[in-house]
Amino acid sequence: MAEALAVLGKRVLLVDSDPQCNLTSYLIAPDVVDDMLDASESDAGATLWSALKPVADGEGDIRFVKPKTIGSLYLLPGDILLSKFEQDLHQSWGDCFHRKIRGYRGTTALSTLVNHIAAEKNIDFIFYDSGPNIGPLNRVILLDCDAFIVPAACDSFSIRAFKTLGQTLSDWITDWKTAVTLAPDNVYLLPGKPTLIGYIPQRFRVYADNVSADYSKYLPRIDRHISSDIGAVLKEIDTALAPLPFQSRLGLVKDFGRLAAAAQSEGVPIWEVGTPQERSTSKIIFRNIAEKIIERTK
Amino acid sequence: MAEFTSKERRLIRQIVDHYRENRGILGTFLQSLKRQVLSSKILKPHIHSLSWRMKDPNHLKDKLERKLRDYKKQKKKFVITPQNLFVKINDLAGLRILHLYTHQVDAISRGLKELFAEESYRLIQGPTARTWDDESRTFFKSINIKTKRSPSLYTSVHYVIKPNRKTKYTCEIQVRTLMEEVWGEVDHRINYPHKTGSLACREQIAALARATSSCTRLVDSIFRSHADAEAALNRKRKARRKRVGGR
Repeated sequence: MAEALAVLGKRVLLVDSDPQCNLTSYLIAPDVVDDMLDASESDAGATLWSALKPVADGEGDIRFVKPKTIGSLYLLPGDILLSKFEQDLHQSWGDCFHRKIRGYRGTTALSTLVNHIAAEKNIDFIFYDSGPNIGPLNRVILLDCDAFIVPAACDSFSIRAFKTLGQTLSDWITDWKTAVTLAPDNVYLLPGKPTLIGYIPQRFRVYADNVSADYSKYLPRIDRHISSDIGAVLKEIDTALAPLPFQSRLGLVKDFGRLAAAAQSEGVPIWEVGTPQERSTSKIIFRNIAEKIIERTK
Repeated sequence: MAEFTSKERRLIRQIVDHYRENRGILGTFLQSLKRQVLSSKILKPHIHSLSWRMKDPNHLKDKLERKLRDYKKQKKKFVITPQNLFVKINDLAGLRILHLYTHQVDAISRGLKELFAEESYRLIQGPTARTWDDESRTFFKSINIKTKRSPSLYTSVHYVIKPNRKTKYTCEIQVRTLMEEVWGEVDHRINYPHKTGSLACREQIAALARATSSCTRLVDSIFRSHADAEAALNRKRKARRKRVGGR
């Protein structure tokens, strides 16, 4: 997705905020990743944890690390130790409701770092790779985002999760509004207004160029539940948080099977692997989505 | 004819609903302030106890109706709306600091000012002492606290603070002695939200104000006598130490 936006001339920063570091491992050679993780607590550290450690340890301000340049993209590498920062975020979040400066500092540290790099590199789009959970790290990420897209697997578990996501987001936005209202003057704050700009059904099989019957039955349900379980809940807080009408699908991303594995092992976009026909198909899929993202974030 | 028009009743309902929807923010504000006051090292030795409350929505409704009645009587426009509720009414969240004797107000006032500076609160009103007693008035003036006449016999020092420049939410802090609290609680139970119709009760509450004021005066005197005795004892000890050291 990031590469598709870069192809359209956008400057993109990728932030690997998942302690599992999948995105970092996708884009950087394994031995380099290992070295980087080993050195992350040293002065030469260049991961997200290297930047955030002084804040987590209460020893000072963020260390502004430089992002890695990967082709036309920028990457802030992930770190297994980021889970330590996530544990501290629980306390930081609570401290905000007691108007403690250290609470706001911890809660907004990642945002401060990413915004600094975005300004320095003149970035148009920032993508976070985050774990599939509703933990404190994803909370500060989502409250910092201008927009979010829901990836929706074509199965009933995914549909069931929409309700949890909608309610959790609503609680986070409402709670953060309280923290913002009570914050002392001159404290840096997260915007707290993540706008739903669409969803992408994925992980389905295709038969004769169409979504196969086993999966297509989920599409109308996904449409309906995105609207009722996320869109409507956000609209109750602020209509601007879900500005789109019911049909807000950004595109369809099928299960690429062996192509996904090949792209990951080669560290390239998915349209750079497979047969010429496969490459052309996947390029169109991602370009169309990228164009819609640009359109919806104008 | 009904006292209020349907438009007026709707407005009051909207204001109270708005308060119900947003009182959680005020509650968080109040809890945070309470924690900070309790952990202040300057305030701690002077505080007997704290009490706090959020205004009951039904009592807000009564207050709005009272105000509307007064405005209508004076042929003035009723200016409170859901949008300006938290600006126009400052006692929706309140913290009360109870202490034993009057002179503690000076230390409490300094402690609160320090806390406001440390925690970045903005003092938007006060401190103002509401008092009916001339002697108290002189004391408050001596420590640079403005005074306001209180024909209702209510006695307390008031502050109104807000958490930052932008927000409309405020919290009222009241500082009073335990004896003033006794009078205040009795008056509140009898005269709130509706004033008692009993002349005897009104007379007795007025007498109670004099009695509690005298009690506060007596407690002031006891602590002053105690402080004087302690100071005299310390002077004696110091002189004795000097004599022993000089031998």
